[in-house]
Amino acid sequence: MRRRVVRFILNGEEVEVYVPPAFTLLEVLRDVLHLTGTKDGCSDGDCGACTVLLDGKAVHSCLTIMAQVEGREVTTVEGLAGDGEPDVVQKAYVETGAIQCGYCIPGFIMATKALLTANPSPSEDDILEALRGNLCRCTGYVKIVEAVKKAVEEAGR
Amino acid sequence: MNRLHDIEVYSPKTLEEALEILRREGDRVKVIAGGTDLIIQMKDGIMPRKNLLNIYSIDELRYIRMGNDSIRIGALTSFTDIASSALIRNYARILADAANTIGSIQIMNKASIGGNLVNASPAADSIPPLYVLDAVLVLRSVEGVREVPIQSFYRGYKKLDIRSDELLTEVRVRRMAEDEDGIFLKHGLRLGDAISVVNAALLVKWDGDDRFKDVKIALGAVAPTVVRARSCEEALTGKELNDSTIWDAASKVVNDISPIDDVRGTAEYRREMSVNLLYIGLWEIINKRNQAGW
Amino acid sequence: MQQFRWVGRPIPRLDALDKAVGRTKYPSDYYMDNMLWGKVLRSKYPHAKILSIDVSKALKHPGVVAVFTHKDIPNNRFGLFHKDRPVLCDDKVRYIGDPVALVAAETPEAAEDAANLIDVRYEPLPVVDDVFKAVEGDGAKVHERGNVARQTRITFGDVEEAFDNAEVIVENTYRTGAQIHAYLETEAGLSYIDEKGRITIVSCGQSPYRDKKEICETLALPEEKVRVIIPPVGGAFGGKDDISVQIFLALITLKTGRPAKMFLSREESTISSTKRHMAYITMKTAADKNGKLLANQTEIILDTGAYEGLGPAVLDVAIENCNGPYKIPNIDIKAKLVYTNNYFASAFRGFGAPQVMFAIESQVDAIAEKLGLDPIEIRLRNVVRRGDYGVFRNKIEGSVGIADALEKARMHELWLRRDDIRKTRHRPWIRQGVGVAAAVKGYTIGALPDKGVVGIELTTDGRFIIKLSSTEIGQGVVAAIAQIAADMLSCHLKNIEIKAADTSQTPDTSVTSASRQLYLAGNALRKASEEMIKKLITAFSIATGEPAYNASVSDGYVVSTSTGRRLSYSEAARILEEKGIGREAFGEYEVPRTTPIPGTLEIPHLFYMYAAAIAHVEVNILTGVVKVKKLVLLPDAGRVINPQTFTGQVEGAAAQGIGYAVLEDAKIEQGILRTINLSTYLIPSIKDAPAMEVIPIETTEDTGPLGAKGVGEIGIIPVAPAVANAIKHATGVRVLEVPITPERLYRRLKEAGQNTPR
Ligand SMILES: Cc1cc2nc3c(=O)[nH]c(=O)nc-3n(C[C@H](O)[C@H](O)[C@H](O)COP(=O)(O)OP(=O)(O)OC[C@H]3O[C@@H](n4cnc5c(N)ncnc54)[C@H](O)[C@@H]3O)c2cc1C
Repeated sequence: MRRRVVRFILNGEEVEVYVPPAFTLLEVLRDVLHLTGTKDGCSDGDCGACTVLLDGKAVHSCLTIMAQVEGREVTTVEGLAGDGEPDVVQKAYVETGAIQCGYCIPGFIMATKALLTANPSPSEDDILEALRGNLCRCTGYVKIVEAVKKAVEEAGR
Repeated sequence: MNRLHDIEVYSPKTLEEALEILRREGDRVKVIAGGTDLIIQMKDGIMPRKNLLNIYSIDELRYIRMGNDSIRIGALTSFTDIASSALIRNYARILADAANTIGSIQIMNKASIGGNLVNASPAADSIPPLYVLDAVLVLRSVEGVREVPIQSFYRGYKKLDIRSDELLTEVRVRRMAEDEDGIFLKHGLRLGDAISVVNAALLVKWDGDDRFKDVKIALGAVAPTVVRARSCEEALTGKELNDSTIWDAASKVVNDISPIDDVRGTAEYRREMSVNLLYIGLWEIINKRNQAGW
Repeated sequence: MQQFRWVGRPIPRLDALDKAVGRTKYPSDYYMDNMLWGKVLRSKYPHAKILSIDVSKALKHPGVVAVFTHKDIPNNRFGLFHKDRPVLCDDKVRYIGDPVALVAAETPEAAEDAANLIDVRYEPLPVVDDVFKAVEGDGAKVHERGNVARQTRITFGDVEEAFDNAEVIVENTYRTGAQIHAYLETEAGLSYIDEKGRITIVSCGQSPYRDKKEICETLALPEEKVRVIIPPVGGAFGGKDDISVQIFLALITLKTGRPAKMFLSREESTISSTKRHMAYITMKTAADKNGKLLANQTEIILDTGAYEGLGPAVLDVAIENCNGPYKIPNIDIKAKLVYTNNYFASAFRGFGAPQVMFAIESQVDAIAEKLGLDPIEIRLRNVVRRGDYGVFRNKIEGSVGIADALEKARMHELWLRRDDIRKTRHRPWIRQGVGVAAAVKGYTIGALPDKGVVGIELTTDGRFIIKLSSTEIGQGVVAAIAQIAADMLSCHLKNIEIKAADTSQTPDTSVTSASRQLYLAGNALRKASEEMIKKLITAFSIATGEPAYNASVSDGYVVSTSTGRRLSYSEAARILEEKGIGREAFGEYEVPRTTPIPGTLEIPHLFYMYAAAIAHVEVNILTGVVKVKKLVLLPDAGRVINPQTFTGQVEGAAAQGIGYAVLEDAKIEQGILRTINLSTYLIPSIKDAPAMEVIPIETTEDTGPLGAKGVGEIGIIPVAPAVANAIKHATGVRVLEVPITPERLYRRLKEAGQNTPR
């Protein structure tokens, strides 16, 4: 292994990891930091389960290497809630019944969060486009769309 | 799917440093921009494992600017930025439309136009629009700058006119004029994130007579590189446009393409889709003009 | 219908918040200090003799701790119906997912590199990739016993005579594809030795006791040495019914004494995991001039691939449901389950029902068309109703809501606008249409024995812990059980805690399969609750001296109906403890069943679920792309325990139905799967899923817990035929093969001359 120190901001806190610089962010979050809220569904960018925010934008942590993360800000699903209240997006997913097995859900929540940050009042089409890269095998997406709409409403209050 | 545990990564902060590393390391390193193609290919062993030159943080390569008669796009510019750029939407709309179809939002946020061009997949969605917009690619090395027209950049399947000490730094595209219209078409096997089975870009210049003064058509995923559909272009230029003439012209595309069978579709299907997609594109362009009351 | 405090309410699932904040630990989320990584070397060929396996280079690779082969497996054949599956292949490999060796190493990369250093010498054998050739039997054999794993013939009445008297006869051959489960979490788990010295496997799965049994049998371990825990799983749909990583994990920990982790890559999962059986179905169906179905002659061949898995049961489901929810007096079914080298097929939501429903529901539509009858009308003229005798001459005693569902479908605005929709074209190449289909499936394990136990513990602070081995695979069974328990035990929902699926702590509640987990566990829970309430009342009598018949439970208290005196559950707990009566109660329930008819394993069932579906499609005749714009689903699944979970189950199943119908094309060429990731095997995205409307047809199943029946599978079953019938309505072309991919449909449209924009 060729390791080196990589520094970045993870969920608001500065962290330093000693890892191979070409390890993916997903590998480091899960296998090194054991921060398992971020899910590994395919490691190919096809499913969106590993979505995190990199400097506020939704990206695949499976297609981001540590060298690209250096000095940047990463937010994972654990960071949305922090120690306190769950985020409005998280609550909306819970309340609309959009969560079944839930393995895809952290990715959906992060993609939704990025959408609402960039566009607080998305149209139905905007929602579908923003989530088109997140696969869910349980829900048929109906309640996921409802959840996003609910989050929009709640956030607007 | 092995983790990249044994790879060194150079992360220069400036273009100059990057070029210096390229001069020094040449073939021993591989450039990583967004990484959306490279990481998978390297982990899967499709691409040889090499040390990486990470240009992701060279922000001076992220820009969209109006040039004299062209729009200049930094190689690292993401498809999200391209799709939402007012400049591109106003003057090179087909490129913005193509950018919007690239993978998912997560992919668009990270994937760069330079990576799309150098990865050189025959199905890459930004390339057909760039063909019809007469794109010029700017390649830099410590030795100097080369400007290469897009068509001569591609010499065969993943064979490119780029040296191991060169970095693609900019893409220049022509501005679309008032009397021009165009469309980008993508046929994938799913309505969500999907790789093109066939894609196409059409760019037409109207004359005063409801005919095309000029037509440019490029298609992807139907040959080792993106190709221009010269036979169709010829059959359309200056001709009367009606349902049967556009069918006939679209049908000629089979002379310009050489598709193969793969997991997403047979060569036969790709041939038919090329014709049909062009028909749909032409119909839409003409319909729009008719609707506009010309 | 009786109203309840908790049951029937759309309460957000108890497990949802933890999942939303990333706190829930799935099988892939477990790590331990000093843990090894397991990696399987799989076959290079779909069919080959293994000449030798040399692991010496792999063993020398840095970081490698052990390499295992078949020599390390004491009993190297297992399987639920037939023990035909090796843990690690010995004589032969039978599909490309077959495991040949197992490496345990300090890092995943060491494990993977070492797996590639194992030198396996093969002698490739002819690939059995065609079921028809496989059946003929003069070519290669997948197993010594021959390529036909099971065959049977069931006849009632006289189809030939009926054909002679029929007004119309429709005969077609249908093909259905190999669907891949594509759960978002691939197979994963962790093993270790627990504080009591047991080899503990925390992994994906659907049935902890059955997995444990298979681990113990193959590795020759005593029952008490093994513990299986199944945490919430990232999707299963039947695909985690069979063993995947469990035995490997147990083996590594057994031999090295160290914890071990496995987590299959998407590619490895896609290649090795079980699939839905490909089916070849020929059907000849006859009706009289009024559309009364007279006869149905069916030949079903299911490709089970390398191993049987749950194939025999899948075949039974196909046989049982191939006549749809109809009364057909004359039937003749020939059915075969055939081995090939194509893959390994086993359980998938709906078992064999989606395959045969595609056939029969296309047939019925074709008959309606020939007779000029409305497609819903013809179905209504033939559907079974409660108390009727079914095709197997079995009296249908359970609740039957299919006629109701079809009546409601007939009045749905989408159906009423059908002809207008068809005429609307917003582009010359777009065609629209609306189609309908009905569906049926038994929701217990049928004539096979099926019993389970649920335990309830009253805690000293007056709450209840429900203990059961049902697994939470996403379907919400745990939350539904909590809701039922709160009503049965008359307490607040927050005072119910569920402990699920740990063989050292929870009783055996049978398998999570066949949509009947809620039915079974719910009924066992009812018995346990009755026991618990008796104990609570005993405590009350002890405390107050009042007779038991005076007392009942109400919202956390035992209350006297005559004096109004009450005793809280926590006080009751204290008394039960003091008097040594115990704070635990158990309930056992055995699902009632029938005697199987000759030639079947588990036909008929006593209970069936039903559904109707309407699909609205838009077809691009120039590309063959089908967009399903809307799906209306009318499931009869008994009493709805939680409307949110209920509609969620139906919508999710229906989306898998859309995938099955138009997208999910597992391409297998000469035994090699070509679509090995989620960019080539396309499951529906949010843009592919249609708008959906779920209209529950609430019948009450008297034998179900509070009137509930099963809902897990029914949503997928009517979708493919409803979509195919809608495509027919839109384009005039009937497609006999699913998935109806763009290329396949385009070719059919072209053959029929229906690909010209107008
Ligand atoms: C899930 C998924 C979906 C996708 N969908 C689409 C799609 O719909 N349409 C489509 O066209 N593509 C798609 N792609 C492919 C990919 O995202 C694009 O090709 C992307 O533009 C690549 O850019 P990148 O910055 O990520 O390149 P990288 O992966 O970083 O690099 C790609 C190649 O280009 C080279 N390179 C990159 N930048 C330079 C430079 N400036 N100079 C010299 N060489 C350079 C690299 O060395 C490498 O060989 C998809 C990929 C994934 C994973």
